Amino acid sequence: MFTQPNKLEFSRYLRHESVTIALLSMGAVAFFLFVTGISSAFFAQQEELAKRWSMRGVSDLNAGHFAEAIPEFRAALLYTRDDFNFRLGLAQALMGLNRTDEAYNYLVNLRTQHPENGLVNLELARIAVARNDTQHAVRFYHNAIYASWPGDEEKQERGARFELIGYLLKINAKTQAESELISLAGLVGQNAQQQARLGNFFLSIPDNEHALAAFRRSIEADAHNTSALAGAGAAAFNLQQYPLAARYLGRAVAANPGDAVSSENLRIAKFVVQMDPFQPKIRAAEKYRKVVADFSAGGTRLKSCPVAGTYAAPDDPTLDLSTEWNKLQAQVTVAGLRSNPDLVDTAMNLVFTIERQANDWCGKPAPADAALLLVARLREGS
Amino acid sequence: MRWLRFAQSSTAVESDTLTKAEFEAGLTPARVLRSVFREERFFLVLSVFIGVFSGLAVVCFRFAIEWSRIYLLGSGVDVPHWRLILTPALAGAVIAIITIHIFPKVRGSGVNQTKAAVYIYNGYIPFRTAIGKFITSSVAIGSGHSLGPEDPSLQIGAALASAIGRRLKLSRDRMRLLAPVGAAAGLAAAFNAPISAVLFVIEEVIGRWTAGILGSVVLSAVSSVVVTRWFLGSESLFGIPSVELRRPSELIAYCVLGIVGGLASVVFSSGIGALRPRFMRLPRWTHYLQPAIAGLLIGVIAALGAPQVMGAGYEYIDEAMHGQFTWQFLAMLAGLKIIATMLSFVSGTPGGMFAPTLFIGAMLGAAVGGAEHALLPHLQYSAGTYALVGMGVLFAGFLRAPMTSVFMVLEVSGNYTIIVPVIVANTFAYVISRSLQPTSIFDTLSRQDGLDLPSMEEQREESILRVEDAMQPSGPVLNADEELDEALRKFGDSSHLALMVRLPGHEWARLTHEQAVAMAKEGKGALTLGSLVADSAVPYVHPDQALDTVLRYVDRYPSVPVVHRADLGKLEGVISQADVLKCYRDFRED
Repeated sequence: MFTQPNKLEFSRYLRHESVTIALLSMGAVAFFLFVTGISSAFFAQQEELAKRWSMRGVSDLNAGHFAEAIPEFRAALLYTRDDFNFRLGLAQALMGLNRTDEAYNYLVNLRTQHPENGLVNLELARIAVARNDTQHAVRFYHNAIYASWPGDEEKQERGARFELIGYLLKINAKTQAESELISLAGLVGQNAQQQARLGNFFLSIPDNEHALAAFRRSIEADAHNTSALAGAGAAAFNLQQYPLAARYLGRAVAANPGDAVSSENLRIAKFVVQMDPFQPKIRAAEKYRKVVADFSAGGTRLKSCPVAGTYAAPDDPTLDLSTEWNKLQAQVTVAGLRSNPDLVDTAMNLVFTIERQANDWCGKPAPADAALLLVARLREGS
Repeated sequence: MRWLRFAQSSTAVESDTLTKAEFEAGLTPARVLRSVFREERFFLVLSVFIGVFSGLAVVCFRFAIEWSRIYLLGSGVDVPHWRLILTPALAGAVIAIITIHIFPKVRGSGVNQTKAAVYIYNGYIPFRTAIGKFITSSVAIGSGHSLGPEDPSLQIGAALASAIGRRLKLSRDRMRLLAPVGAAAGLAAAFNAPISAVLFVIEEVIGRWTAGILGSVVLSAVSSVVVTRWFLGSESLFGIPSVELRRPSELIAYCVLGIVGGLASVVFSSGIGALRPRFMRLPRWTHYLQPAIAGLLIGVIAALGAPQVMGAGYEYIDEAMHGQFTWQFLAMLAGLKIIATMLSFVSGTPGGMFAPTLFIGAMLGAAVGGAEHALLPHLQYSAGTYALVGMGVLFAGFLRAPMTSVFMVLEVSGNYTIIVPVIVANTFAYVISRSLQPTSIFDTLSRQDGLDLPSMEEQREESILRVEDAMQPSGPVLNADEELDEALRKFGDSSHLALMVRLPGHEWARLTHEQAVAMAKEGKGALTLGSLVADSAVPYVHPDQALDTVLRYVDRYPSVPVVHRADLGKLEGVISQADVLKCYRDFRED
């Protein structure tokens, strides 16, 4: 409690109070100016130190020297504690060392401050992927896709979406992946590499039509893109467009002879083109020649896989396939077929049956036999 | 002029305070100014200036600590081992020489020194002490001694206020009040938390709530925080992550934290309490070495893998809050910080214990939370929440400032959803610490220094004697409309020698049997009591009032009526001087 001041002091206050306040004000202003001066020097130094350490951190982060980057970003944060980029850099460095729990905590806080930041959401999605937390991973990827990004926003968004699709395919969530791919298709533009990547994603779903379209766009942008050529060949092959597949695969193998899958598919595709008697717009003579050749190939396959021939043909259980083939052999000639065109279907059906049985019992077929199986599938619309 | 405008605008309000002569002489500007700035108002204005000066001084102090750290330990976080070990040791040696030869009063707790200034030295704190604290504490903290800047800031503020008060030749009473005003300003600037600073000064330095000082303390604290924020920004000390309590059952986890924190507080305070007098009793020449050896040991701890224990450690509190450490490492850091702080403090190195307390609390909180989460994975765990509550827990348990501990957490977190866990955990910590270590650390330190300062904690818990403890049954009540003869009959039926008379307008009078008999002999038997005793009304008191209140009356009135607060015409009892004295005597004997 205040007590009553004595009168002498009271009168002194009354006399001097204004002077006192003026003096105190002047003192405060002088002190304030002094502190302003040293404050400028202090913050200039802090800023310089923050810059110096952060630059080292960024440099080490980009070089993949995560262990060095961590103390550098921490030092930078000593001088600008809440700097978003420094914290993000630190989190990325921690992630680089697989210290995901520590990184996660930083990122969660960064996300609280900047929920719309794409990079933060993307990093959180990666952590969720590492933790096998699909629900959060997809959520953070979506946040990243629809977030704001520094610089080329579309490019970053595409990157996040590609990453999400890769993750969805990895966990076999093909339906979700397909819808993401369709959205992505509208964003990729004429970039050959990205179109090829998109095509490969479609191919792995599989959505061969979209894949072929993406590969074609890629090839339009870059005719020598071997990945796109191989992808287009594979997509066309899967779509049973063997002449087209043979064209793309031929170019792909020419550009990259080491591509074994494309080479194999190319051989098969060529055989299909060569052996398919049901192709439209071919002359009858050629058709009969193909049937004769196919029938001969069926016989060869039967000889190499006798077990297939001992089983009865499904359409006539009383006859086995060898007996049937032998029975028709004399009739299946170019002349025989010309005189009895109905024999084409009979002969080819027998060939298809032989190839299926041989495939079931004797394993991997030779390219010509594989081609005949594909012709069978093509013919039967399966 | 702003002040003049204020004075003019206040003229109408203040005109009733002018004397008649002044009023007749006319209201000149000088007279108006004088009428406005009466001493109490001037004191409030002075509090603002003290806040500004303290805030500026604390800003400089913060810069000095940071510069010390940069130049002594380097600007990075990876400090070479030789530097970690040698820097605090050499700084300790230099500080010891400065402390012993130039600033001998900078040793010890600034809180206690400010309290001593208030209760013993009439508010006098040498300005030299402020300079000494500034220099030695900034070097000590910057070099890595495990101490904090808040306590020195508090003392710097108090010393500045004291110096200003002396320069203005303020009265002794004002000088006593000025030191806490400066202390609040210094602490508020250091914490960037004005409410906590005000509460702490009231809880620990002044010890009571009084309207006279509250305004000044608040003004100085707020003005110092405004100045500090002008230079350092309005960010809180820590980057607080989002904090939430999802299920009420999680409170059990916080109870555990409160218990662990209470026990840690006891270990910390009893360690300091036991070691400090032993270190002080060592030969004088060892005092030159004690800070250096303490620094060396802290450096060794840092070099062995725990550099986090060095200095105030706010940046590491921040990291703990963001889940940067495992719970095992956090627990180890809490233990090592207790050791490091004990070493620094008992060696006489100037600096405060607020920041180490917060550090230990944060580490312990996050460690307990992490351990609980490891044991019970379904438990919602956020390192930030537990660290924050842990800080409050240690504040309540170690510094024994329960209210400040709650508001400090709220103020630094800015999140009121955490209030329930904080209160629950702090209560556990406070009760455990209080029961295991009855004397608080500040009282222990002041007694070790040979000072018998009032214990705020004991004062808070002191039993207050009330009127109801001493009052006696009153006997029958007489009414103003009763005749004297009737009153005499009542005296005859009662053993009391005096009865209370209820008068109109909630007044009471006392009538003795002797007075009644005398008036009856004068032939006034048919008159009403109202007409006979109307002029001899006595003051009354209420049962819940402090017994001290009655002392104002009982020397003038043989007994005083005790009346009901809600019904002033209802007599609860009577109280006399003998009753009061008997009650005090009985209380002391108990």
